Amino acid sequence: MNITTRERREMPVQSEDDVILVRRAVKALAEQTGFDTFASAALTTAASELTRNIWVHAKGGVAIIEAVENGERMGVRVTFRDEGPGIADVPRVLAGGYSTARSMGLGLSGSKRLVDDFALQSTVGTGTTVEIVKWKSY
Amino acid sequence: MTGVIPILRMGDVLLTTVHVELRDAIAEAFQTDVLSAIEKSRATGLIIDISGLDMVDSYVARILAETGRMARLMGTEAVLCGMRPEVSATLVRMGFPMGTVQTALDLDEGLALLRSKNGLTRIE
Amino acid sequence: MDHRRYMSLLKLDEAELRARMSACELGPEDLERLQRLRPFAEKHTAEVVNAFYELLLSHPQMRKFFPDEATVRRVKRTQSDYFLGLFEGRVDLAYVEDRLRVGAMHERIGLAPKWYLAAYRKYLDLLHTLLYAEYPPAEARAFFGSIKKIVFFDMAIAIDTYIAANLETIQRHQVALRELSTPVIRVHDRVLLLPLVGAIDSVRAHQIMDTVLVRVVEEKAKCIILDIAGVAVVDTKVADNLVKTTASVRLLGAQTILTGISAQVARTIVQLGVDISIMHTRSRLQEGIELALEMVGKTIAPKNGASEGARP
Repeated sequence: MNITTRERREMPVQSEDDVILVRRAVKALAEQTGFDTFASAALTTAASELTRNIWVHAKGGVAIIEAVENGERMGVRVTFRDEGPGIADVPRVLAGGYSTARSMGLGLSGSKRLVDDFALQSTVGTGTTVEIVKWKSY
Repeated sequence: MTGVIPILRMGDVLLTTVHVELRDAIAEAFQTDVLSAIEKSRATGLIIDISGLDMVDSYVARILAETGRMARLMGTEAVLCGMRPEVSATLVRMGFPMGTVQTALDLDEGLALLRSKNGLTRIE
Repeated sequence: MDHRRYMSLLKLDEAELRARMSACELGPEDLERLQRLRPFAEKHTAEVVNAFYELLLSHPQMRKFFPDEATVRRVKRTQSDYFLGLFEGRVDLAYVEDRLRVGAMHERIGLAPKWYLAAYRKYLDLLHTLLYAEYPPAEARAFFGSIKKIVFFDMAIAIDTYIAANLETIQRHQVALRELSTPVIRVHDRVLLLPLVGAIDSVRAHQIMDTVLVRVVEEKAKCIILDIAGVAVVDTKVADNLVKTTASVRLLGAQTILTGISAQVARTIVQLGVDISIMHTRSRLQEGIELALEMVGKTIAPKNGASEGARP
């Protein structure tokens, strides 16, 4: 796999306004990349979930939106990084059953189903990074 | 009314169209306004038109489902109408449980659904 | 496809332009040299273009592209402009757009890359001879070096144009195939039918669901019948997708009726533990259609003689 970045944009996530801005930027890039309405809606919704997570649970972070390509395939990659409390039991949260942070779990597991590639890395006390990629299908 | 989403009354039915992104403050005001409108009007039906929403994430879905449930508790049949195909597909693929919220294709269908349920629903 | 579309397909922005120039080692000194060569180029344009077309027309397969004198004259004029364009001393997005316009035209008339490349080879051959005849060897070599760079730059764009055009065709075919494999039929007012046939992999299942939802809204359907009698294998994924499709259709305010369920498929679905309580199911398509009509308040009744007329 050889993914190269064509375009890159870093956006802060410090307020609810930022969540909306990130969402709009992802949607715009998805449309520019040529995603159909379904793929665009899926990616935008996943991005909305993950950005909200940053704002609600980590009290701030950053979203990096990239236009990527892997050979002839084009796609959009969004990386969500925060310095929040981190997730102790990642598998449990991803399964959607983490009771004290239920909304976060739903957002994470739900987003995973909407994208092609999903990677999560988290350390308690340090922060969390989530990376999603959706590829354009023909 | 405290929020920006208008609520119209047509006989026994309340109609509201969500035309803006439901951010926290707007969403809460929306719920408050709908419930207080139901209280004041004693409407038997509520139609929430979401044809203007091109994205519904778990937060928005929760607000909508909750509002419907709260309305039902107050004796008002709630119908969600106008969901876009891509919004529906995304909610289902995400696995968000939309429960048993009633749905209709559009406003006309929503009114017809309420009429059939309530029999004597007066719609002006 | 027009040249602007090629610009976007080839992602030709400033960065891409610089990357391509750097790949050919085409720099400011080369552009300056090419500009200095302009008078030389103008002097030899007619000669070069004529020799080029002599080569093309000597091949019978090429003749169909030049059916008459008027065409040949017009094409020679375009080629002259093209040839002189190499000596403008500037390579920017406007230059590239110009090249793409020519490339797009060639692609449209079906001129294959092999002729394109043959043409460029002929140009280089002619220019080599002319340069060494008119300039001292060191200068001629330097000039020819710069010409080679810009010609290869142009060739890369021409070839990429062909590849982009073919990719577009493949995409169009795939869209058409997708539509053919998901034929949603309107059997009655607000009643849709989708007969599914063959193998359904996850990609196809995804597309089926998307198409169903779009059509339900377009047709304002109250129900859609999914007939799976022709589906080769109904495994967890297929069953799961049918359930998801039913759930999404419901969110749009419509109902799904699943028909064509064989005993084997019924066993599979139940054993898989898939919750089909929200689905209407019938074993035969006919029953599904009858149920659908009931849902829209219609019924199929026998005609009772010519004098009565049709029932509503």
